[in-house]
Amino acid sequence: TCNDPGSRSAGGFGLFGSAGPQYSKTELAGVPLTGMSPLSPYLNVDPRYLIQNTDEFILPTGANKTRGRFELAFFTIGGCCITGAVFGAVNGLRMGLSETRNMAWSKPRNVQILNMVTRQGATWANTLGSLALLYSAFGVIIEKARGAEDDLNTIAAGTLTGVLYKSPGGLRGAARGGLVGLTLSGLYAFYNNWDHLKGSSPTRY
Amino acid sequence: MEEYAREPCPWRIVDDCGGAFTMGAIGGGIFQAVKGFRNSPSGINHRMRGSLTAIRTRAPQLGGSFAVWGGLFSMIDCGLVKVRGKEDPWNSITSGAMTGAILAARMAMVGSAAMGGILLALIEGAGILLTRFASAQFPTGPQFAEEPAPMPASSFGDYRQFQ
Repeated sequence: TCNDPGSRSAGGFGLFGSAGPQYSKTELAGVPLTGMSPLSPYLNVDPRYLIQNTDEFILPTGANKTRGRFELAFFTIGGCCITGAVFGAVNGLRMGLSETRNMAWSKPRNVQILNMVTRQGATWANTLGSLALLYSAFGVIIEKARGAEDDLNTIAAGTLTGVLYKSPGGLRGAARGGLVGLTLSGLYAFYNNWDHLKGSSPTRY
Repeated sequence: MEEYAREPCPWRIVDDCGGAFTMGAIGGGIFQAVKGFRNSPSGINHRMRGSLTAIRTRAPQLGGSFAVWGGLFSMIDCGLVKVRGKEDPWNSITSGAMTGAILAARMAMVGSAAMGGILLALIEGAGILLTRFASAQFPTGPQFAEEPAPMPASSFGDYRQFQ
């Protein structure tokens, strides 16, 4: 039968009755059209079957919809390393230029600036990378321990990272570090859920 | 076990950088813990403190150098993939050699290049052997479309051309 709209010829239109907006020959439709306003005279499928309120993606068994923390961990750590390296390089350039302000443009000056750039780049990359590593490790551990995943994990992991990172400074240092971690991860969680708090659905995990 | 999936090429660099940093930092952390423990004055307090200090100072440095190696390797690998238009173990071996050469630019370049290339040839060769061994368990042989071993998919995308 004429299921494919492309195969419809002029004669086939007569099957559906008059050429008006109304779908008059409903008894010829062959499928139940109960309760639905006629969407199109060419539609010979019950439009109720076209509504998809299930997920749009088919997932293999055992896979979850979004990426877990472990899969994101390497990307986070690498991203923080690279960001730290770039920031440190720029900072090193600034410091090198200001420290050798009084020198003429010569090889020692360039070498000194280059040393500054590489050292600052390396230090910042290592610092940010190890922070990201601690945060990811805590996040994975908390997620596995709780069995659930939500923003509470983010905030807890951030706080614990701050506490551990500043723990050599004694109890007060650890508390300060924990506060900084709590603030930063709280802001991040807030930013992630901004749409949700505003009332619309979140666009990303 | 979930299917191993590598990122497409630009993001693969960040992923590999992070993976290398993790390996370096955790491996370095364990190594420095033992070393700091042993190189401290006797008494468990001193030893613990020495161990923690060594971890805090040295492990990020080792992680950082691993991260540079991994990031540079991945960058050259992605560049070769784009230039050559295919993914196979030769990319990885060449990237290893070039990474070794670049990172030893001020010292013995050829020696480091050779070492890097040989190291990666060993890794890739081990991977290929593992895949062949794992696929030999299936009696249907080459018609089997799915790669049974969850190894880095990039090197084995064109595996069938080597059979």
